[in-house]
Amino acid sequence: MAKEAPVLEAIDQTAPASHSSGPGVVYEWLTTVDHKKIGIMYIVYALIFLVLAGAQALLMRIQLAVPNNHFVTPQVFNRLFTMHGSTMVFFVGIPILFGFGNYLIPLMIGARDMAFPRLNAFSFWISAFGGILLYLSYFAGSGLYGAGSAPDVGWFAYAPLTAKVFSPGHSTDYWTLSILMSGIGTTGTAINIVATVICMRCKGMTMTRMPLLVWLLLVTSCMVFVAVSPLTAAQIMLTLDRYLGSHFFDTQAGGSAVLWMHFFWIFGHPEVYILVLPAFAFINEIVPVFSRKAIFGYSAMVAASVGIGFISLSVWAHHMFTVGMGPAGNTFFVFATMVVSVPTGIKMFNWLATIWGGRVRFRTPMMFAIGFLFQFLMAGLTGIMLSAAPFDWQLSASYFVVAHFHYVLVGGILFALFAAFYYWYPKITGRMMSETLGKWHFWLFIIGFHLTFDFMHIPGLLGMPRRIYTYEAGRGWEYWNLIVGIGAMVQAIGTLIFVYNLVHSYFRGKIAGPDPWDAWTLEWSTASPPPSYNFAVEPNVGSRRPLWDLKHPEDPDSSYE
Amino acid sequence: MMQSDNQNRDGHTTRAHAGAVQLPAPTIWPIVFAFGLALIFTGMVTHWIMSLLGALLVIPGIVGWFLEVLPREHHVYVPVSAEIIPVVGTHTTGAQRPAGPNHRKLLPIETFSITAGIKGGLAGGTAMIVPAALYGLIRYHSTWYAVNLLAAGGFVSWAGESDAFLAQFHPLGLLAATGIHTTASLLIGLLYGAMLPMFPRKPIVSAGFIAPFLWTGLLYSALGVISPILDRRINWLWFVISQIAFGLVAGFVVNRQVKVRTAQFQALPFAVRAGLHTSAKDEGPDHP
Ligand SMILES: [Cu+2]
Repeated sequence: MAKEAPVLEAIDQTAPASHSSGPGVVYEWLTTVDHKKIGIMYIVYALIFLVLAGAQALLMRIQLAVPNNHFVTPQVFNRLFTMHGSTMVFFVGIPILFGFGNYLIPLMIGARDMAFPRLNAFSFWISAFGGILLYLSYFAGSGLYGAGSAPDVGWFAYAPLTAKVFSPGHSTDYWTLSILMSGIGTTGTAINIVATVICMRCKGMTMTRMPLLVWLLLVTSCMVFVAVSPLTAAQIMLTLDRYLGSHFFDTQAGGSAVLWMHFFWIFGHPEVYILVLPAFAFINEIVPVFSRKAIFGYSAMVAASVGIGFISLSVWAHHMFTVGMGPAGNTFFVFATMVVSVPTGIKMFNWLATIWGGRVRFRTPMMFAIGFLFQFLMAGLTGIMLSAAPFDWQLSASYFVVAHFHYVLVGGILFALFAAFYYWYPKITGRMMSETLGKWHFWLFIIGFHLTFDFMHIPGLLGMPRRIYTYEAGRGWEYWNLIVGIGAMVQAIGTLIFVYNLVHSYFRGKIAGPDPWDAWTLEWSTASPPPSYNFAVEPNVGSRRPLWDLKHPEDPDSSYE
Repeated sequence: MMQSDNQNRDGHTTRAHAGAVQLPAPTIWPIVFAFGLALIFTGMVTHWIMSLLGALLVIPGIVGWFLEVLPREHHVYVPVSAEIIPVVGTHTTGAQRPAGPNHRKLLPIETFSITAGIKGGLAGGTAMIVPAALYGLIRYHSTWYAVNLLAAGGFVSWAGESDAFLAQFHPLGLLAATGIHTTASLLIGLLYGAMLPMFPRKPIVSAGFIAPFLWTGLLYSALGVISPILDRRINWLWFVISQIAFGLVAGFVVNRQVKVRTAQFQALPFAVRAGLHTSAKDEGPDHP
């Protein structure tokens, strides 16, 4: 690689290097510090894990589709739900959202790269190796069941099940260590995002002119600091317990199993918001462009996001109502949880007010965004139901809870992610995704989603516990589970169409041009895909919609703000 | 392009190297460091040899990374393509609908600030005490009944207590009820304030009558799970009355606040802003 070379020499070297093939290309990607390439690697890596963890979900749904089924063994089933949950949260959710953040933030604030480009590469690779280590457990573990020993303690790995006595071998260690590694990477990227947003904005890009996506990823990253540290601490304590015989979570030796629950959920609840705020961020960018209106209530949106960030740090124990914290504790967490609905409600109203009176274009990104709005509202309503402690006592650890949080994660976050894919794919690859396939994807996925997760609430209300391997006929659960399984298949077909669309459009999609959506933020002012330096000249912005100003010099936003 | 003009004036373009941009140089060391760390962890679940190998990789990884930035950060110069990208919609996605005349004109020209909503919430919360106390006085001959009933949401142990108990004065009950009531009033005020720009016209009607009925309906269906004890004892008629008291006072207080001008205002012609001309008031604000 050319370092400190004279200009012409550098030009001579870099130009052919980008056209080289085979090992040269691989080396280029392994050594890159370009935020766009790292962002793409994050996204592709997360997509691979998404397909893996999705396949695990399908296997579980086949197992549960009919009563007394023995499609997989109980041991395999335990590993399936553990790996599905851990993968989706740590190796799909966080990396894919950080991937988009990595790609978009410098482009949106007019910067040439992230603040710490090498830390960025390191953070990606350590997370990626974490995911690989987790899956290595299927092949290389020296665990209880012989060949392979994937973790089987559930994605929140409650003590004392994780103690050496109850989980011999190394399966739980694979889980602990890979999550630890993912935590290092997540913290590194969060530091990077905060520093980038604070220090790298182009001229004129004041904090109050930043696109809302940038604001929300800033809040998310600050939450990562507070949430991931306790998780990492807990993983280290668990490692000490398992390797050196300490007794943090060993109840028989005076340790505390509830301590683990507190540590885990102090991470676990903010994690939901760490995942959902970037989803909000995508919606904030997509809804205005496809409604042909500026976002309604920018400052209220920022305030609500910061508010959600703070409040969500004080609600973790709503996952622990059945522990027996006493009336005072329960009451505090009931009210704190209900309070989250206030800033979330503000956001909801602002999105609706943005759409209201706009000239809505129902392209695929907007359709997914509208799906998000509706489903997130529903998920919020079941969330308020569960936030009431007496209600939670009845339904904790039932399929009602599973249905609720999948409504958030799939109906909310995944829909927003699909919207983001259709919206920014032209920027990232230079080609449009097929609109026809996109519509097929949307309709199949939304039908499958509602078949699965609407009907999953019912066996939960009828008392079906989560994580059971199989069940007897005649409890009224079987038809609902069959419908849920069929819905899962429909979603899988939709997802396959999406993956096909991603690959097919890369080679055959219509050429997008720099600004296919007639959008207003800075990333659309450069080529698609953007050159490695993003902007030939550093941009200078005068409002929240710099491209509007350039396209309409007679009526610029800058005279309104 | 407008941008390049600004750039040239400030001399901010591409430093000393005309036609090239300075970017951080690609480097192998972050991945080496990450892989070394990963191997150390892998050794903990496989064989210690892996950890040793990892440690051997971590050291060059760290050293290499240091030398990458110290004493001087390594860079590459990437040539800039001369192509200027015009900032216009490219119309590759078919018919691009124009933004329309209302693309930023759904805000009213003047609206109440969010603080107005909070003040209204606090005033309404204070006003709500009157019908609540009246209810306790008429039904149970004690002003403390409603206070204790609200506080009972926080004390599970009070669930089985008698009416007589709830009619007595309990300092803890007063404290808890004050906390719950103040927080709730503040939050409802905040939500109300945030929603005011959407219907700024008649705060007394919206807060005094529409909101109480919506809110009561919502609570009527949900109270059984939020606070079972409150649900068993609540008197819905008096509840609606106190809601209306809250809303009327909140709306009244909001109405008395000075409206703040939104960004829309600045876009009006000078004559209108100066108050010499009023015709734009009709076309400016509100919905299409
Ligand atoms: Cu939670």
